[in-house]
Amino acid sequence: MASGHYDAIVIGGGHNGLIAAAYLARAGKRVVVLERRPRVGGAAVTEEIFPGFKFSMFSYVVSLLRPEIIRDLSLPRHGLHILPLESTVTPMENGDYLAGWGDHDETRRELYRHSPRDADAYDEYGRLMHFMAQAVKPILSMVPPDPTSFALGDLRALLGLGRHFRGLGSERLHALVKLMTMSSADFLDEWFETDVLKATKAASGIIGTFLGPRSPGTAYVLLHHYMGELDGVFRAWGFAKGGTGAVSEAIASAARELGAEIRCEASVARVLVRGGRVRGVVLDTGDELAAPVVLSSLDPRRTFLELLEPAQLPADLVADIRRFKFRGSSGKVNLALDALPSFTCMPGIGRQHRGAFSISPSLDYVERAYDDAKYGEFSRRPYMDIVFPSVIDPGMAPPGKHVMSIFVQYAPYHLNGGWNDARREAFGDAVIDTVETFAPGLKQRILHRQVLTPADIERITGLSEGNIFAGELALHQLFFLRPAPGWAKFTTPVPGYYQCGSGTHPGGGIMGASGRLGALAVLKNGGGGGREAG
Amino acid sequence: MTAALVIGASVNGLVAAHYLARRGRPVTVLEPRADSDPTLETGWVPPVLARELGLRHLEIALPDPWLTAPPLALFRDIATSAEAIRRISPADAARWPDFCARMHRLAGVLERLYLRPPPDLETRALGELFGLAALGLHVRRLGKQALIDLARILPMSIADLLDDWFESDLLKGALGALGVWHLKQGPRGGGTAFNFLHHHVGSAPGVFRPARSNLRQVLEATPGVTLRRGVGRCRILAEGGQTRGVLLEPSGETVAASLVVSSADPRATLRDVAGELDPEFLRAAGNIKARNVVARGTVRLDRPAGYAALCHAPSLDYLEKAYDAVKYGRDSDAPYVEAYRANGHLDVHIQYVAAGDPAAVQRRVAEILAVAPSQVGVDMPADGEHLYHGEFTLDQILFMRPVPGWSRYRTPVRGLYLCGPGTHPGGGIAGAAGRNAAREILKDG
Amino acid sequence: MSLRTTPFHPRTAPLSEGHAWRRWAGYVVASAYDLSHEREYHAIRNAAALFDVSPLYKYMVTGVDAGRLLDRVVTRDIAKAKIGQVLYTPWCDAEGKQIDDGTISVLDERTYRMTSADPNLRWLHLNAAALDVAIEDVSERTAALSLQGPNARAILETAAERDLRGLKYFRLTAAAIRGIPVTLSRTGYTGDLGYEIWVDAGSALPLWDALIATGAAYGITPAGILALDVARIEAGLLLIEVDYVSSRHALIESQKSSPLELGLGWTVAADKARYNGQAALHAERARGPAWQFVGLSVNWDSLEQLYADVGLPPRLPTTAWRTSVPVYAEGTRRQIGYATSGGWSPLLKQYMALAHLESPFASPGTRVAMEITVEHHRRQAAAHVSALPFFNPERKRA
Repeated sequence: MASGHYDAIVIGGGHNGLIAAAYLARAGKRVVVLERRPRVGGAAVTEEIFPGFKFSMFSYVVSLLRPEIIRDLSLPRHGLHILPLESTVTPMENGDYLAGWGDHDETRRELYRHSPRDADAYDEYGRLMHFMAQAVKPILSMVPPDPTSFALGDLRALLGLGRHFRGLGSERLHALVKLMTMSSADFLDEWFETDVLKATKAASGIIGTFLGPRSPGTAYVLLHHYMGELDGVFRAWGFAKGGTGAVSEAIASAARELGAEIRCEASVARVLVRGGRVRGVVLDTGDELAAPVVLSSLDPRRTFLELLEPAQLPADLVADIRRFKFRGSSGKVNLALDALPSFTCMPGIGRQHRGAFSISPSLDYVERAYDDAKYGEFSRRPYMDIVFPSVIDPGMAPPGKHVMSIFVQYAPYHLNGGWNDARREAFGDAVIDTVETFAPGLKQRILHRQVLTPADIERITGLSEGNIFAGELALHQLFFLRPAPGWAKFTTPVPGYYQCGSGTHPGGGIMGASGRLGALAVLKNGGGGGREAG
Repeated sequence: MTAALVIGASVNGLVAAHYLARRGRPVTVLEPRADSDPTLETGWVPPVLARELGLRHLEIALPDPWLTAPPLALFRDIATSAEAIRRISPADAARWPDFCARMHRLAGVLERLYLRPPPDLETRALGELFGLAALGLHVRRLGKQALIDLARILPMSIADLLDDWFESDLLKGALGALGVWHLKQGPRGGGTAFNFLHHHVGSAPGVFRPARSNLRQVLEATPGVTLRRGVGRCRILAEGGQTRGVLLEPSGETVAASLVVSSADPRATLRDVAGELDPEFLRAAGNIKARNVVARGTVRLDRPAGYAALCHAPSLDYLEKAYDAVKYGRDSDAPYVEAYRANGHLDVHIQYVAAGDPAAVQRRVAEILAVAPSQVGVDMPADGEHLYHGEFTLDQILFMRPVPGWSRYRTPVRGLYLCGPGTHPGGGIAGAAGRNAAREILKDG
Repeated sequence: MSLRTTPFHPRTAPLSEGHAWRRWAGYVVASAYDLSHEREYHAIRNAAALFDVSPLYKYMVTGVDAGRLLDRVVTRDIAKAKIGQVLYTPWCDAEGKQIDDGTISVLDERTYRMTSADPNLRWLHLNAAALDVAIEDVSERTAALSLQGPNARAILETAAERDLRGLKYFRLTAAAIRGIPVTLSRTGYTGDLGYEIWVDAGSALPLWDALIATGAAYGITPAGILALDVARIEAGLLLIEVDYVSSRHALIESQKSSPLELGLGWTVAADKARYNGQAALHAERARGPAWQFVGLSVNWDSLEQLYADVGLPPRLPTTAWRTSVPVYAEGTRRQIGYATSGGWSPLLKQYMALAHLESPFASPGTRVAMEITVEHHRRQAAAHVSALPFFNPERKRA
């Protein structure tokens, strides 16, 4: 053995891997995180891509980072500072706009301008969503019970879950069924008449999916925003000071303080299995690291099919993981700007730049963007979510200069003919040309541009097919089906080998729940033994 | 015993009427239209109906091959179909028997759910809880794989499901069409796998098109109920939370009754008694999605067609593109078309059509079926008139159908019941809703 | 991009000496114009106070079925109302829990104006299924002033050049003030003689000027919300989101109240066509509501003693408070309810509060104890249940 002895090895230094390590270290385990890249963070990294200009290269907003993690790891003390994104402005094709502001009265007044009835409906919708978020929230922090199991613990958990849902009362239970099964467009149609409002809300339901706003199964993502509000005091939703990399750094700092070791540029080639259980890992260099417990925060395809040999797994699990859908659908364009662009719908530079611009002028617009992707092309006129992090956090760009982050959908991983440099630039051009129609003059302000396709996301972060959620968040890939039936409890068929990435329940966004639950699963099984035992 | 009025001489209306009459209740069926509709009923006929109602001369027609999608033909015999599939894809042929078995087993779970009122998840009643528990056990007894399949497949798109199994576009198109049958969804839409299974309920393994039957004609000929045809529009009267009867328009005749069972579209039925309903209930009823995207066609033939049932849906992408048009309110230029041989003509199902130009649809159908446009007649879909009185999407089934929380055929108005395809288990299952409704009515005494 | 201002803002803004504004339904209105609200309060009871009440939500309901729609919504019987009548009424959800309260003015048999504290446009539309009715939000188009106090009639009679003695309590009439067409209703939120004046927003400023000019001789005083709040507690009038939570905003069942629990049983018609919440309200009436909304009078001697114990003279809330304060059964620690508004009545010389009490403790005269914080310590002050309103002058209805 080339290295010291560990109780546990965590593969992958993304936020989930770091959180898992921190929780294990907190419980007294000797743990090491192995990160392939020179820095931790995975898809939550801040990089100075152009001199003086820092970017949250991939993930750019903190979404629902679990309050218990913020608390348990004392993240604010380690530098976590989440700043509010104050508004969302949606430019419309007729030159008007729809704005949602931080202040309720102001938002109501704006909605009223578009539809007096929608202004009323908005409050009631918000209240229903608040209840729905409350109903769903406990599930985010639970290990999914296996409904096919007759084990006592599973039955008890299932009964508890049944009681929880029945306790909601019929009106809310039905609303929840609707949210879980409907398309966001249909769900919103029941509430609102303003198309641009529905488009903007629906757009949040398609992020990271290979679905359009009219595809069933997109409605429940509408909840995410409201879950963030439940955690309002923790500001689990917003923009991290220093970019999303600062979130990873804060977690890494907490993990180190708790005693975890973090090694960068340590790429794991495979997981070492001997005598029917995990023994450690083999690095690309050929070095071996031994530990009785190994956790993979990588996506399910890598966790099961690349780090292990198929022969080490049951055939139906291999088939299930092969069937697990990734289909990355989003890209990112990062711009360094000489100056902020002015949007035609709300001219000038002002507080609107402290929030997001959503390029989702109508449901048809977003749906057409999806149509392109369905048939293997990137959207000619994509849905985009634009923020100017340097306005919120001046440290992100040289004084007076700015960074602009454009999240783009759809850019299918399986592009007809495949991605190459020319297609990447064509994609970047489509994005810039589209923004330019809403903010003329943007092009002249661009100093540098970085275009990231799903293929780039896969290459750099290792996320299979560039799926930002480490596997589609579709109903048939959630809860006890994530990543595969029977293996949704963070364990694997190889004793000692665990999962803790976003490809497990609940997955998605910078939530961190998977990392925490993965670590707790290890601890519950008494994995690795204590320091004393070592 | 209270006399009952049943609105609509549809299969479900007639089934409900006969079940009520068998228990000694005088029943009058009011049918707005004057003539009996000669067309056959599409959908599975639960055998229990024939047994319990003593139906005679029931004929259930299922052609063999049950579907032709040249050059592919699919037969009732699984091995014969596999042979046919082998000519376009040996891999698909090899998977066919397994696919048929798996789908049949899942449809069996639905079948069990369909011959009773939908499970009431909120119940505290002991009997209901036993029912739920029995259902749970039944599902679990099917084994782990079936349970996982069910959980995974129901919310899936039919495209994802078929892509898991098959490689042939032609086969996937022909099967996928059943997943979008009467839906304003493309094969990539979530929940279309459920729609596929729904229409497989009661079928033989390996048959993925519903049978057609003369059930309605047989019910009409069965004695025991009074059938009044040509009564015009039936407007339900209610006052003080209680059903009072039916007003016939335009005659102005009022038929008094304290028990009215409507097989009409729930939205129309409830609109009649809107004054008796809570605004939130009305809102829920108003939210029933019933977007009709199917045109009906008839083709007059000079010579008999060389097939009994022809499907034109050459691939999943073809279906998806056909759907794309209707998303933006246009008729599809390349619609999914299915033609059934009837007496000297073809009955044609044309999807997706919004409400555009009938002449253009006629031309497209003629091209696809290789006949002259003059031979084709097209009935464009009327807005909101859905064959099933509500789409089969996951948010509109079981205890969500027709209105969440009101799935047991009752309405907030005493004495007014629903029994049409807008209620559980819905269209495509002939008479099950009518039977379930009648049994609930009898429970209320 | 800021809050809205009312059509009277160009006149009210320069009057605001302390720049004390508050939000009301997305508008800014004056808390008080003077540095203290005291003079404004006394104008209500002694002369005439002029309030800008434009932020109220106002809906015009017109059409053959307009009356039927409102009858479906509210608990009072609109069908029995006469033209020119104004009805104060609550409205409820299907479970009989109160959504909001407001007034309905019967302008003619097909035209009604509804005012409310919360938005109700969508609710009206939801209730209008299958009815022949048009609902229009006229909140922005219609400005409103409230002129309250013993001199209110004299001012309006002079300004409108007509006799208003015939305009009875909760009746309305069309009139013109210096040529400006207005609707006058004998209504208000002070429990005093008073009127509300409804005018097209475009004529708001001339109307203000006319009233101020005419009223000068009668002591007209522009007044803000702080003064109004004291007066409305004296009058025993409910304030939504303070004294009760709209069932539409409640997060849990126990936050909701029915009109029967809010002292509005008189508005729940015993015999009328079906309306929202009817069955639940009839059932509740039959079994008796669990809660009552009552007045509390804090015992002066007890209050004085609590302060004397720490060596202080009694401290009195000169502005009305709007927090939730526990109420106990006398001499016990058993909480039997909570007060939601309270304050010192400068006119009655009495510490009063509005409270929700469990029904067995709600009959007038029942002795209870209300929590009072004396020098950072929570104490119980003796109090007794009072009939509402605390203040009910003859001139209100005369």
